[in-house]
Amino acid sequence: MGDDYPARISDLKGRRTKNLAMGGEEKIKKQHDRGKLTVRERLDLLFDKESFVELGLLAHQQPVRGGESDPDGTPADGVVTGHGLVDGRQVWVIAYDFTVMAGSMGAVGEQFKAARVRELALRYRKPIVWLLDSAGARIQEAAGSTFAGTGFLFADQVVMSGVIPQVAAMLGPCSAGTAYIPGLSDFVPMVKETSSMSLGGARLVKAATGEDVTDHDMGGSQVHCYESGVGDNEVAGDRECIETVRRFLSYLPSSNTEAAPFVESADPADRAVEGLEKIVPVSPRAAYDVRRVIKAVFDQDSWFEIKPTWAKNIVIGLARAAGHAVGVVANQPMQKGGILDSDAADKAARFIRMCDAFNVPLVYLVDVPGFLVGSQVEKEGIIRHGAKMLYATAEATVPKVTIIMRKAYGAGYYVMCGKGYEPDVLVAWPLAEISVMGPEGAVNIIFNKQIEASSDPEATRAQMIEAIRAQINPYLAAGWAMIDDVIDPAETRRVIVRGIEQASDKRIDRPWRKHGNIPV
Amino acid sequence: MSVEVKAELVGSVWKITSKPGDQVAEEDVLLILESMKMEIAVTAPRAGTVKEIRVKETDVVKEGQVLVVLE
Repeated sequence: MGDDYPARISDLKGRRTKNLAMGGEEKIKKQHDRGKLTVRERLDLLFDKESFVELGLLAHQQPVRGGESDPDGTPADGVVTGHGLVDGRQVWVIAYDFTVMAGSMGAVGEQFKAARVRELALRYRKPIVWLLDSAGARIQEAAGSTFAGTGFLFADQVVMSGVIPQVAAMLGPCSAGTAYIPGLSDFVPMVKETSSMSLGGARLVKAATGEDVTDHDMGGSQVHCYESGVGDNEVAGDRECIETVRRFLSYLPSSNTEAAPFVESADPADRAVEGLEKIVPVSPRAAYDVRRVIKAVFDQDSWFEIKPTWAKNIVIGLARAAGHAVGVVANQPMQKGGILDSDAADKAARFIRMCDAFNVPLVYLVDVPGFLVGSQVEKEGIIRHGAKMLYATAEATVPKVTIIMRKAYGAGYYVMCGKGYEPDVLVAWPLAEISVMGPEGAVNIIFNKQIEASSDPEATRAQMIEAIRAQINPYLAAGWAMIDDVIDPAETRRVIVRGIEQASDKRIDRPWRKHGNIPV
Repeated sequence: MSVEVKAELVGSVWKITSKPGDQVAEEDVLLILESMKMEIAVTAPRAGTVKEIRVKETDVVKEGQVLVVLE
């Protein structure tokens, strides 16, 4: 073959074809046999048709410190990077290829390819998605004191936090070098069975502590989506995982400088919400599933719950109210009576801060008996954890609408955006009870002496309880104009939509500071 | 194989709604705790027979305490 244009072009095509073939047929078959898709199949699902633009296709492993390298056996150096469109909006991606050296992070893939994506996504203020399926750092390239020159990716993630949305989709192993990627991301879906994450993989754990455990047992979705709270949503497979990523992004702006996306909705803003009286019992002691209220109030099929299987006593998620994206924070009486505890406060606080960072208005659906009290929760540091939720709600300057459905007790009322926390609209249903504590508890403290002195203590106690109960209905607060209105539950949707629209030009200026000191 | 059903949080036993020998389906209510003035249903994690109820009404229970054993 002569040295002319066609020959050079043909050579280029050959190089491209070779690297597009990933780790080869045998490795691809193994990937499929594990129930996983290949990195390029995943990208086809993530991005709108033919919108993916790849950077660094021709990259491959380089010799590090004079060591061996395998340029032919390391297409794209095990990580596919670039950008594409998700519902027509630009999104950047770093997608590990498990068929090439187990998706391990090499010097080229990390220091040049992934770093370039982080730089450009931030430069253009576009979301970044990691598709994680990686054995972690490529130890043969990372061992030695040149480790001193690494670690930029996490620092970059911190700089990007609250500027552009960051999603870590867990599609395979993710340990050591990569596990802090999900730890710093805004949304972390995990594929059941095939994905795992841990600070140290099984082999490292064995060497470090002697513990015998598998990656899955240590860090699968059954741990992180149910016990640790590091994972957000457990999903059945790669397809569902990537669909979940697309759905999540649909509620968020591309960056903190944009408004949350609005989509035309067929569900009328003024729709009366039917049937709430069949969902929420009048007895403040009785439980129900608050997700039924959420589904009835917000746009049809718009509810996207986050962390549904962890700290279930609080429900958080994204939804739409007549087309406006909103973040919903709702107490869940069906789980632990909706009582707030450390994990619930932690879960809500992080979600509230994400919504605030990305200009997503917040809707609080309040039915809270308060924070759990007692020796167990004090040992857990509930004051510190509860303070996170106080902090997050007070700090948030997005439009905030508070609906007191039933109970609003104590600090539970504060963290659910009570009067002191700058709600733009604060209303109560006629069932509402607003008080520092329930009548029974209050009577025991306030009237203890009178009850003891009474000839019929139980009758006196019951009388006092009724006297206090009469004062905790919402009309005392409405009479003082401390709440904006008492509404028919059927008006809830209209009040939320109008509240968000009322506050669309909301601007709150805080005193200058470097940053606050949130209790962590 | 038996399954221990434990208290999710501290509280008192308000009402016991099942008895040893009862056949229960998953999600059936076994007893109701009271904590922070809320009724908190304790349900069967899966179908089975109630083998043992280890608490009585008004007992104060700790988080993690075994309330009911299913078989």
